[in-house]
Parts: sequence; C-alpha cells; structure tokens
Amino acid sequence: MKILTEMPDVTALMPEIVMTCLALVLLMLDLFIRRKEITALLAIVIAAVVGFFLTGSSGTAFSGMFISDGYSSFFKLIFLVSLVLSVLISIRYIKIESVNFGEYYSLMLFSTLGMMLMASAGDIIVLYLGLELMALSLYVLAGFLRHDTKSNEASLKYFLLGAFASAFLLYGTSMIYGLTGTTNLKAIAHYLAANGVAHNPAVMLSVILFVVAFGFKIAAAPFHMWAPDVYEGAPTSVTAFMSVGPKAAGFAVFGRVFLTAFGGLQVDWAGILIPLAILTMAVGNILAISQTNIKRMLAYSSIAHAGYALIGLIAGGGNGVASMMNYLFIYAFMNIGAFGVVIMLRTEGFKGEEITDYEGLAKSHPLAAALMLVFMFSLTGIPPTAGFVGKFYLFMAAVAEGYTWLALVAVIFSAISAYFYLRIVMYMYMKEPKAEVALSTSAPHGIALAVATCAVLLIGVLPSGIIELARAAVAGF
Amino acid sequence: MNAPFYIAAVVAFLSTFMVVTRRNAVHALLYLVVSLLSVALVFFLLGAPFVAALEVIIYAGAIMVLFVFVIMMLNIGRQTAEQEREWLNPEIWLGPAVLTLVLAGELIYVLSRMHGRAYALSVVSPKQVGIALLGPYVLGVELASMLLLAGLVGAFHLGRREGTGGERRP
Repeated sequence: MKILTEMPDVTALMPEIVMTCLALVLLMLDLFIRRKEITALLAIVIAAVVGFFLTGSSGTAFSGMFISDGYSSFFKLIFLVSLVLSVLISIRYIKIESVNFGEYYSLMLFSTLGMMLMASAGDIIVLYLGLELMALSLYVLAGFLRHDTKSNEASLKYFLLGAFASAFLLYGTSMIYGLTGTTNLKAIAHYLAANGVAHNPAVMLSVILFVVAFGFKIAAAPFHMWAPDVYEGAPTSVTAFMSVGPKAAGFAVFGRVFLTAFGGLQVDWAGILIPLAILTMAVGNILAISQTNIKRMLAYSSIAHAGYALIGLIAGGGNGVASMMNYLFIYAFMNIGAFGVVIMLRTEGFKGEEITDYEGLAKSHPLAAALMLVFMFSLTGIPPTAGFVGKFYLFMAAVAEGYTWLALVAVIFSAISAYFYLRIVMYMYMKEPKAEVALSTSAPHGIALAVATCAVLLIGVLPSGIIELARAAVAGF
Repeated sequence: MNAPFYIAAVVAFLSTFMVVTRRNAVHALLYLVVSLLSVALVFFLLGAPFVAALEVIIYAGAIMVLFVFVIMMLNIGRQTAEQEREWLNPEIWLGPAVLTLVLAGELIYVLSRMHGRAYALSVVSPKQVGIALLGPYVLGVELASMLLLAGLVGAFHLGRREGTGGERRP
C-alpha cells in the first residue's frame, strides 16, 4: 500500500474519464445555453465521443478495481445507445411537460456514467458507488415533473425501495468481506476456492442478499413491486431510459459478480435464479394482461423481459451470457421505440397513456401505427423482427445447457404475452377511431424512431453481426 | 476479555431495536444516537479509533443534529409547546440515558485499562486511512464526489423556484 506519487495508468478508464469531464463541462455550459435543444445535442455528441474512446480501452486499473474488457464494453455500448435514443425522444417531450431544464441531460449523463462503472467494476466498492450514482440520478429524473403528484410519488417510492435494496447489497458485501477479507471479485473467488468455504451457509446467505439487490435493479419478481408505479409516474422519456439502461446495468453486475466471484457456486445460485426467472415471467406476462394504462403494461412487459434475460444467465457459459447480452441490446431498441410511439401521443392537454387511446390509430396516423406494430411484434418475438432473434438465441442457449424445460416454460409465457402486445395492434388496426388524436412529432424524435425501427428490422433479418459481436465480447471474460 | 465488545454490541442491538419500534420520531432519533455511539465504540475496540471518531463526529454529531432540527421544524404549530413539554418527561429520555451511561462507563474502562488495543493486532491510524483512500481506493473517492455532485444537481432541481432558470413555463 503506497501513496500515488505518480499518475497511475488510466488508459482502461479513458471512456469514463472523458464522460466525467464532458458531463461537467456540459453542466457548466448549460448556464449560458438558452435553447435547451443545444444542450441535448451536446449530450449526444458527448455520448458519441465516449463511444469513440470505448474502442481503445482495455485492461485493468487501480489494482483490479476497474476492469475494461469486451464484456464491459458491450454493455457500455448498450448504455450509450439507450442514452442517445432517450435524449432524442426527450427533446420535444420535456418541453410539452414544461420541464425543459438543462440538468435533465446532465443527470442522464451522470446516470450513464454510473452504469458504465457498474459494468466495469472489479471490486464491490466501485460497483456499489456506480450503482448509487446511477440510482440517485434516476430518483431525481423519476420525479422531474415537480408539479405532478404522480411523478413525485414515483420518485419517492423508487428512492425508498432503492435505498432498501442498497441495504441488502451492503449487507451481502459485509458478510462476504467478513468471510474472505476482501471486496475484490477475483480475490473472493480465489479465496472461496482455496479455502473450501464455498458451501458455508454465510456464503449462501450473501449470495441470496446479492440476488435480492440485483433483482431489484432488473425488476425481477418478487422484487418488482416498484416498477409499475414508478414507470407510470415518471416522465415517459425517463421511463424509456430507465427500463433499458439500468436494467442492462443490473444484468451486467449480476453476470460480473455471479460468474466471477461466485463462479464456483453456479449450481447453487442457478437453483435460486430458476424459480426467480419463472416467477418473473409469470408475474410480468400475466399481470400485463389486465392493464389499461400503456405505461403500466410496458412496465409489466419489462418485468417479463427481465425473466427471459435471466435464462441466459442461468444457462451460463459463453453462449448463455452472450445470448443475454444480445437480448439486452435488442431490447434497448424495441423498448425505447415502443416508448417513443407512446410519447408521440402526449400532446399539450392530452396524456395519451390509455390503451383505448390507440383505437383506430392506423386510420388517423398510419405511420405511427405501423411503427408501433413493428415494436409490438418485436416485443412478442415474432419473426422477422429482432425480438425473435433475441429470444431464439436465449432459448437455444438454455436448451444447449440442458434446461429444455425452462426454455419451454419461457415459450409458453411468450405465447401468453402475444395477447397483450397484439391487443394494441388489434386496437390500432381493427377499431374505429373514437376521438381525433393528435401527434407531437419532431425531427429528433423521428430520427430516434427511424434508428430503432431500422435496428429492429435489420437485426431481425441479419442477426449474425450482433451475435458475433456479443460472442467476441464474452470471449475475453 | 470479550465483555466490552459484547456489552457494546448488546447496547447497539437494543437501541436499534428501539429505533424501529418507537412511534415518535424524536424518541427514535434519541435511540439512533445511542446506536451510533455504540457502533463507534465497537470500531474503537476493533482497533479503528479514527473511524470511531468519524462515526461520532459525523453521524452521531452532525447528521443527527440535522435530523432532529428538520423533524422539530416540521412540527411548527400550536401543539409544539405541548409536545416539547412531553419530551422532557423522564420516561422518554431515561431509556437512551441509561444505555448511554453503560457506554460511557465502558469507554472509561476501556480507555484506562486497555489502551485501545483490545482485539486488534494493530491499530489503524488516520495516516493509514488516508494512504488507503488516496492509494488503491482513489477511484472510490472520485466516484463518491461524483455521487455528491449528482445529489447536488438533483437537490438544485427539486428546490428550484417556479419560473427561474431555463425556459419559463408556457
């Protein structure tokens, strides 16, 4: 242990350093920027610059506290994509909601920075601080509509339950530190293997506590209670952002902690995660059926998708993890796309959050209805959309690892999910419009939807590129 | 020789239990102060006097005072005087006071007899804490500062007056 007398090697964290500096510059510049569209544009530029630095970074820094490898870079790509898409769909929306403030974009950047550190954490302390940075920014973003009581409620609920989940994480950490004397993930794995304490009940207890904490972040049942209320109350653009990035970040730490630190205990934690995955799919898909608010419906749908992605983690191995990452990447496009259409229905004086608002949308706005159709098909998993590809590789990985029955259960729940996704399609195409529904469109919004649609269709038709990328990313894990 | 540790741990447990079960927020806070003090004593016994001092100064001192102020300020009204009279009732402060006396007696005993090195093989000095924070854990320190900044930006937004900064509401 010595003081840093010279600058440590920080090439591995270049993306994070660039992100931090530019986010701080943006926070300052925002004071002088009158038109907040420019702030939004700068936020996208920052994401692009960080993406550029992503390619050059690999290795570890700060004695293994920070790991930059293919696995973390792939997740960072998901975070940056979801950041850019969310910013694009926010520009017009936060104006309509009359909360057009620059700190909105700063908080999004801070939150993304937290996620990036989570994906790269090689030590539970860094993991926890990254998680708190992500969550704290999201608590404020969820309550960004200060004059709206539902938004306030969402923020408060998310904060209280999030703090509770953090307590579980810290409790698990303290227990594992007490046993092994370290918080470094690799050192924990090494200690557990070398000293044969892997089956100590305290290790299992701390595994369970980690499952609770991370299960909360990915909104897996039975730790999903916050999701419908928070997704409904938060500004829709924030809901889109938080249903993708933080969920992917939750999976990133799930994979990193469980495959690195508890890698030798895979049989044990898979036994905990299997019932969790089944329950998550059941709760998400079955409760989504009875929803009348589209944001609540998409919240339950996002719970169900966490269940599918968990299957990849349970299957484990290179294929399982690659299929999970691949699925989360695809999910970013299709879910933000779906929320993008939901946002378009929000105009001044009209909320457009009820499912009945979609009646006859195909007649009045054929393009918007067609886009929603693509995203709903993709979320269901119907070819030739990306959702099918994602589910196909997940279930293939499960079958290859001998979890055929689990894949079958997931297929059955996917079939159930068709009911509520296709109900939206049915409302749009087979019902007569009741009232005139206006759309709020803008150029950035159009770009975001175009990108999301192209990605969903392109990956659906030509999946090999993204699959290879995910496999290559896992190879160095 | 483990008696001081167990006494402090039992006090911590009892007072934390009381924090959770009290209905009146101020009563709960009094017990929370005791709980934090007993945890500080545990730290001291384990050979971390610096962390123990921080625990007392920051948690039991600064943060608790803030808590108490906020809760008392939220109760502005006619009943406040009545309530404050009620708070002076011995029933309320007797419990925390007894527990604190136990801790105080223990602290005097530990300081006079054990010279602060009860169980630890070595005592962690403030210098070592500083070296650890600015050596291997420097990333954590930087991250914590980002976390505070994000909290500050959030507090700024939530505390913003209507119609100031940014674009005005239409």
